Amino acid sequence: MSNSQSPDDGVDQPRQSVYVESEIIMTTVRVVAPFAFTYGLFLTFHGGGSPGGGFQGGTIIGSTILMIAFGFGIEPTRDWIENRSVALLASGGVLAFATLGLLPIVLGGRFLQHDLFKTELGIPHGTKYALEAVEILGVAPIVAGVVVGLFFAIAAGMLGETAPVSQGGEAE
Amino acid sequence: MISGLEAVLVAFLIITAVATALLRDVVAVIVVFAAYSLGMAMFYAFLLAPDVAMTEAAIGAGVTTLLLLLTVARTVRPAQGELFERVNVPALLIVGGFVAVVGSTVVSLPGVGDPDAIVWSNPEVTQYYLEQAYADTGVENVVTAVLAGYRGFDTFGEAVVVFAAGVAVLVVFGTEVFTHE
Repeated sequence: MSNSQSPDDGVDQPRQSVYVESEIIMTTVRVVAPFAFTYGLFLTFHGGGSPGGGFQGGTIIGSTILMIAFGFGIEPTRDWIENRSVALLASGGVLAFATLGLLPIVLGGRFLQHDLFKTELGIPHGTKYALEAVEILGVAPIVAGVVVGLFFAIAAGMLGETAPVSQGGEAE
Repeated sequence: MISGLEAVLVAFLIITAVATALLRDVVAVIVVFAAYSLGMAMFYAFLLAPDVAMTEAAIGAGVTTLLLLLTVARTVRPAQGELFERVNVPALLIVGGFVAVVGSTVVSLPGVGDPDAIVWSNPEVTQYYLEQAYADTGVENVVTAVLAGYRGFDTFGEAVVVFAAGVAVLVVFGTEVFTHE
């Protein structure tokens, strides 16, 4: 990566080599990412029966996106994911969690009183499904969205300031 | 009592923790800190806390390292001097004294898996959850049953706090994520 900003000996200048196209990293990410993503989904969906849950699964799903961004460049990944879907993921999780909490009040119970899904709506294993819905629809999307959003936010601050330099570097 | 593998892991943790404090180059510190987090995740797995281990591996070793690297990429790297920071003796004395005070409480902690530990042999809380969780919620994992069921309101609060913290960071960053096209 050539750096046109400072002709120093490469010690006292900002590190602007944000993205280096590395065959090793890209291949590794290509192999590992599907497994990591599936493992994250597995932890989220099996939180009721095995160690894990929405928080663990959500972080692993989020870090899969981070891994892809590190391997294939942050800008292309952000164009691919789109900021809107990250925001939708996080706020949709809060909305889903709140809805699952407020629904029992509509049914005449208290906030998050999940057993009403069984007794009032007649859903078999209603309590269990409500619990897992909280993990799958509430906690996991919030955590994944916030992790990805934080990463993009910090990367955006950096790219916004040094955009011409880093783009010049990537073009080589 | 302590297996060989655990002893190696503890030694690894102490070495990486001290190296994190002493190394001078910031990138080296971040890498060593990630190794520390990974060792900590393995240690949690040894202590039969797989949930904490997974979180530590994903957040501590993965996400935090990436965020720190991204942040450091914006800073200026100081000219390479010696490998280690110079030790500040008063700070070392204060930290050493603090470690000694906190460490003196370790001997009175119950052993791992001790059936007489108060946290465990508690009929009103712990034992109630262990006995009733499946009947009450239909979920086999008691941790999930407590988190999303019995303590669902707390979890709701935590999830909203995570969301609010993320929103706060975006506001501080000047909403660049949302104006960027």
